[in-house]
Amino acid sequence: MPRITIDPITRLEGHGRIDIFLNDQGKVENAYFQIPELRGFEQFCVGRMAEEMPVITNRICGVCPEAHHLAASKALDGVFGAEPTPAAKKLRELLYTAFFVTDHTTHFYALGGPDFIVGPDAPPSERNILGVARKVGVEVAGEVFACRKRNHEIITFLGGKSIHPVAGVPGGWSRAISAAERDQIQDTARKNIEFARFSLSLFERIVLKNPLYLDMITSDTYLHRTYSMGTVDAHDQANFYDGMIRVLDPEGNEFVRYHPSQYREHIAERVEAWTYLKYPYLKKVGWKGLTDGIESGIYTSTPLSRLNVSEGMATPLANAEFQRMYESFGRKKITEARYQPIHHRMATHWARLIELLYASERMLELALDPEISSPETRNIPDPSRFVGEGIGSVEAPRGTLTHHYVTDERGVLTKVNMIVGTTNNYAAMSMSIKRAAEKLITSNAPEEAILNKVEMAFRLYDPCFSCATHFLPGKMPLTVALRDSQGVPLREMRRKG
Amino acid sequence: MSAGVVIIGMGNPLLSDDGVGIAVARAVAQRLRGRMNLTVTELHTGGFRLMEAMAGFQRAVVVDAMLSGATPGTLQRFDPKGFVTTKNTFSSHDTDFATAYDLGRMAGVPLPEQVSFWGIEAREFDLFGERFSDEVSAAVPGAVNLIVAEIIQWEAPA
Repeated sequence: MPRITIDPITRLEGHGRIDIFLNDQGKVENAYFQIPELRGFEQFCVGRMAEEMPVITNRICGVCPEAHHLAASKALDGVFGAEPTPAAKKLRELLYTAFFVTDHTTHFYALGGPDFIVGPDAPPSERNILGVARKVGVEVAGEVFACRKRNHEIITFLGGKSIHPVAGVPGGWSRAISAAERDQIQDTARKNIEFARFSLSLFERIVLKNPLYLDMITSDTYLHRTYSMGTVDAHDQANFYDGMIRVLDPEGNEFVRYHPSQYREHIAERVEAWTYLKYPYLKKVGWKGLTDGIESGIYTSTPLSRLNVSEGMATPLANAEFQRMYESFGRKKITEARYQPIHHRMATHWARLIELLYASERMLELALDPEISSPETRNIPDPSRFVGEGIGSVEAPRGTLTHHYVTDERGVLTKVNMIVGTTNNYAAMSMSIKRAAEKLITSNAPEEAILNKVEMAFRLYDPCFSCATHFLPGKMPLTVALRDSQGVPLREMRRKG
Repeated sequence: MSAGVVIIGMGNPLLSDDGVGIAVARAVAQRLRGRMNLTVTELHTGGFRLMEAMAGFQRAVVVDAMLSGATPGTLQRFDPKGFVTTKNTFSSHDTDFATAYDLGRMAGVPLPEQVSFWGIEAREFDLFGERFSDEVSAAVPGAVNLIVAEIIQWEAPA
């Protein structure tokens, strides 16, 4: 059977690999998306003091240390029974908005954007951010760097250290901000809002006004009707730092709403013989294989799913863009503020830019809040309230991130479990890759541009495997078996390790 | 442009040999402390982050673990021109260093006049741990000496 392998996946960390199997007619028979693992993170943590976790987990991955730092800090609030002060919660969320701005900016301009701005058919050597700069002007690249720089500065002083924040402690935040720092954050947030609006206008001009791209976005090549997941605040609006997990069915009806600490009642993980990464799915719907629809427990946890579950956006400019996106897709309002879900996965790029605008506006709101410069940034844990177990959850840019720690009575870790952002979407990504391959590949020797359009099916999820692959238990065998639907091995491969 | 040298250790100190770049960078800084205007930085990902970390300095040294197929512990020096990638100068959520460097230049980011990359071949890089393999441990002193010598030569009055 002829096989096409995309390996390594361009612009994707580590060892992700796609195998596409064709039949004798050159039609796609199957597509596998495999992720090998790194070994032993859980064992590495067990036996350490729980309070080390915010500074250990933020080194798992160089891409979202801020997300791990905050999820770990929240889990520690639970372990030590210490509720953070209101100012501490706001400082944590403030740092997080700055992080979201940098992360979403990088994805749009360097990772997802080149496919649209330079073009999906362009040669790979041009389909990168250099190509973007040539197409839209080098001053835009300067803006991207300026945006990253001003937000990294804020992350550094808010988080107490460059790149790997250290300020999160059980019960709060170890550092208050000065009036001058608050002013700098306000100024940065205002610039971020302008930059986000500019990015949305660029997306409209270059992508939405181009009939070819619009066709690609709205075609069924990148369409899957799955459940949508996201964290919502008390008004059922998207929030990245804290809230309840809300899940909607593919029609847009609320399926469940739960506190992140109840994740085990709602999320199960499917093990398949041919891959080491487990597939999380909705336990109460059930695993029906890699298939979409209301009967299948597969869900997504992405910028688009977060908007799907949200009763409009909590900030005005982002909310206007939210309405525009749903109306452009012909979605009807289900409630006063929420629309029928969008399932065209390419709209995730648009949703990401709306989140960029929301994060910028939210950053300004928080920076204008008089409480943000309060010195009351921590409740010191009271030993009599020690719990010994904690679950912390935030929305990472690429999906809901959950940290779960159990300790003994001294606070020494005995159990660590994590579901990282990208992992939530593993089943959905696998389906999207297969669908795109089936729709696009019609011969044994597809052009590079066709393969790139298959890659676009997972690039839209903004996956990051540098941490997704860290959380699997046990040793990694040295061979990987590919199997067909009957479980018959097709091929074995070895990897160095 | 601010004067001075930045030494950037790339890698993850929790992933066995992957942390060697950081250890070497710290040891170099230790040796040269007080002798010149030297900044030491720790980074996990390459691309933009790396380019941004050297912005504003006159000279930059980057040390990273390497997976070239050479014997573990092998030390190699690269110029940016001949540079492909070492282990951490590529990231799923970033671009590669060469692209970032070119783009930085285009966008007017003040980048160093001199940049050198040092790669140390890793043996164990996907196992959590805070110790290096024997071959990599043995390579650290030699790498530190060579990098210290390079920086001293750079900074010597003409």
